Amino acid sequence: MNDQLESELRTALLDRASLVPAASIERLTRVDYHPRGSRFRPPVAIGATAIAAAASGAAVLVVSLGAGASNAFAGWTPKPTPPAPGQIQAAQASCESGQSPIAGLPLMLADTRGPFTFSVYGDNDASSTCIEGPSFTAVATSESSMPVSVPAGQITMSSAHPPSHARAPYSFADGRTGDGVSGVTLVLGDGTTVQATVGNGWFVAWWPGEEGVKSAQLTTPAGVKTQTFNIPPGLPGPGGDSAGSESGGGSASTIGPAAHGGGESIQSFGGSASQ
Amino acid sequence: MDRRRADFDRFVADSTEALVRTAFLIVWDLQEAEDITQETLLDVARRWPRVRRMSHPLAYARRILVNRAVSGADKRARIRSELSGAAPTDRADDAAIADAIGIHDELMGALAELPPRQRAVLVLRYFLDLPEAEVAAALKCSLGTVKSTASRGLARLEQAMRPTNATRSITT
Repeated sequence: MNDQLESELRTALLDRASLVPAASIERLTRVDYHPRGSRFRPPVAIGATAIAAAASGAAVLVVSLGAGASNAFAGWTPKPTPPAPGQIQAAQASCESGQSPIAGLPLMLADTRGPFTFSVYGDNDASSTCIEGPSFTAVATSESSMPVSVPAGQITMSSAHPPSHARAPYSFADGRTGDGVSGVTLVLGDGTTVQATVGNGWFVAWWPGEEGVKSAQLTTPAGVKTQTFNIPPGLPGPGGDSAGSESGGGSASTIGPAAHGGGESIQSFGGSASQ
Repeated sequence: MDRRRADFDRFVADSTEALVRTAFLIVWDLQEAEDITQETLLDVARRWPRVRRMSHPLAYARRILVNRAVSGADKRARIRSELSGAAPTDRADDAAIADAIGIHDELMGALAELPPRQRAVLVLRYFLDLPEAEVAAALKCSLGTVKSTASRGLARLEQAMRPTNATRSITT
């Protein structure tokens, strides 16, 4: 009986499946499913307007939080702070909820500064970042076309730039660390230093404003080294004006000795390290 | 258009039909099947940088679709149980479809009455011809659960068809 039933079941299912009209399939095929490079969830109470596209393996990203965001970063510190009990777990729950593009990527690093948690999710193929603050959560995705290879004692980093209408942006830098790098302090264009969180071969730091990264001080077994980033003339520099930005987005560029661009609007630059 | 976009568009062109038919068989409703398929493809698009490197992107998409269909169906079943007027309408639609194709009426009716998860197991096994291990992966459950669920589902179908077969033998 079971063989007969299974046979009838197969036929019945095929018959019913054939009732899906061709027009339905065609309509579904015509839908534009392509996502934007990033998104905010939920619409930010302090006003989200833009988030930049991403880069390979690492990114500096500037996000405009729009008007009324002047107090959005209250509690930020230039050095990471110990997480409050449950802070990272709460951020994870927020970042990974719903249809987050982060889903499936392992958490590599979480940077906590006061009430803010900046998380980096990634593997060799893609990375996503998520910042969670008292009133907002922002997620950005990126892709790398090939594994990122980082020389020992150096880092790779990439940058993105704010859309021209950014009014109260913040910036972040994340990337890979080479063997032996145990500490990263970023030096911004105005001389401000921001200590990054380092671990699992990644680093991440963020700061209010649009100031770009000029160099990084790297703690290595051989001592503290300085890695500078050489940006060719004519290409957007960290913290510079928007170049090639899309509506609601920004442009991204990659900085580092061994970063490989895999996304759109990405330029790779060489860096140099000195002791 | 970059290669990644082109790859995704090709994936949509190649897989939409299989996905929407599978969803239709699980949720038993065309409109819902279309919605679920569209949401699934949006999900896949968001994760495409990773998905395109998988050995079987369609299997990944199917896993999203099946779980969305089953969990959505569970919610709809709860709503139907609270709204007394909804279920008869659904059954009337199913009966109309069964009449339209003219065969398997009893089997169709019995399938429509199965719990969504049970129907999903049968759809994956007997429509897509997936091995039990792949069914388990798609539904995120154990092999044993797949076997027992399929067995219970077949038993219910058999039970539902038995009196009808008897009637047929009398009337023909």
